[in-house]
Amino acid sequence: MGADRIYKCAELPVPVSRLPDEALLSGLATGDPELAVTFVRRFQRAVFGVAIAVTGDRQLAEDIAQQTFERAWRHAQIYDSRRGSVTTWLTTIAHNLAIDAVRARRTEPVAPEDLDALLDVVTETPEQWALADEASSQLRAAVAQLPREQGRALVMAGIYGMTAQQIADWEKIPLGTAKTRIRTAMGKLRNTLASPDRGDHGQ
Amino acid sequence: MVSDVTCEKLREIGAEMALGVLPGRERAAAAAHLDRCAACREYIEHMTLVGDGLIGLVPGSEPPLGFETRVARRLPQDVTAHEGEPHTRASDLAHKAVRSRARRVRLWVASAAAAFALACGFTGWAVGTAIESVTASSSPAVEIQTPLMEGELTSASGLGPSAGDIYAHPGDPGKPGWIYMTVDLAAVGTPYSGKVVCLLERTDGTTIRVGTFTLSNGRGDWGAAASVDPAALSGARLTASDGTVLATGDFETG
Ligand SMILES: [Zn+2]
Repeated sequence: MGADRIYKCAELPVPVSRLPDEALLSGLATGDPELAVTFVRRFQRAVFGVAIAVTGDRQLAEDIAQQTFERAWRHAQIYDSRRGSVTTWLTTIAHNLAIDAVRARRTEPVAPEDLDALLDVVTETPEQWALADEASSQLRAAVAQLPREQGRALVMAGIYGMTAQQIADWEKIPLGTAKTRIRTAMGKLRNTLASPDRGDHGQ
Repeated sequence: MVSDVTCEKLREIGAEMALGVLPGRERAAAAAHLDRCAACREYIEHMTLVGDGLIGLVPGSEPPLGFETRVARRLPQDVTAHEGEPHTRASDLAHKAVRSRARRVRLWVASAAAAFALACGFTGWAVGTAIESVTASSSPAVEIQTPLMEGELTSASGLGPSAGDIYAHPGDPGKPGWIYMTVDLAAVGTPYSGKVVCLLERTDGTTIRVGTFTLSNGRGDWGAAASVDPAALSGARLTASDGTVLATGDFETG
């Protein structure tokens, strides 16, 4: 293999590495090894980032990242560009797999210092986020503005996959309070993302 | 039995549901409600997007060295495992994969499948569930709505069933369209090596030259950004640099 395929990089009007995300994803279905490498390389950082954040275990995170790409490859046909970018699709797959893995191991989902560190990093805006799209910048700002306890509840539920009961136990608060924090935080984020011209509030 | 959930109750637990952390029993009740309430379905869908966005804020992290090679090596192999074929030379794998899979390739999920996944109470893209609903059913409920166009290439020699596939997508709002083709003329007895030209044929009889690429022993994959108008696009043609037609294909929409 290899040698007879190198031409693609050199002679394509659009090199494989510059194909749009969607085209790369659809190309995966052909089983082309070079496309596959390009695809994985483009998204591995985002996918592994989610897996390691949820599991805190590099070996497990690598397994999850691997499974994520295998799924993406097998099920490229269910990708719906209207629901989000290819990156979003892949990171949600990785997230679901990571949550399942953590639940299966029944280990403590998160150490307190990890939780606070993740909340901090999720809300900070260092230089590399400058290129992020507007929606995610708005979301990041909205998370940053949440009261700390709501932000913690949001990260525990939305990223670590903890139920309201687990959050209540963890924070030593009543179940109702945990539920309220999740709901309130999500409500605020939802309002941030709802564009003013979109009438998505009840008729 | 699951107890009834009102719209009000649904809005109360919707955030947990959208984040995928609602316990099973409550989730089943909520899913039953979503099944018959479009307004709440839309609400949950929006909440799910917020949850997906939250995951998108998690910082990236580089996996161990060589990760992409290890993964990519497993992808094509997985094709053979999937199809129960014996091991084949690696260079043949990709094209075998095309033959065995491309007929089934349908890009972009139907919204019906997504709604089904949501109704079942899964978060995010609900991969497993949505897949089942797509692959287990060829029912009219599952329809492709984004106009991805797909065509099969037929060799100009008329030999063999298929010389490859071509996909064309008009692009999402604000993004350019693209075409992607995978060619295997060796399979149809034309192991041509050299430059080829990809032309799109329009319904008014005109053709547009999209670009050139190189085939090696009749094989090659190629993609390019292109302006794709589904209403005006009828087919594609692959020619050698001297104009000889090597293969043609007609598009079908999704
Ligand atoms: Zn309702």
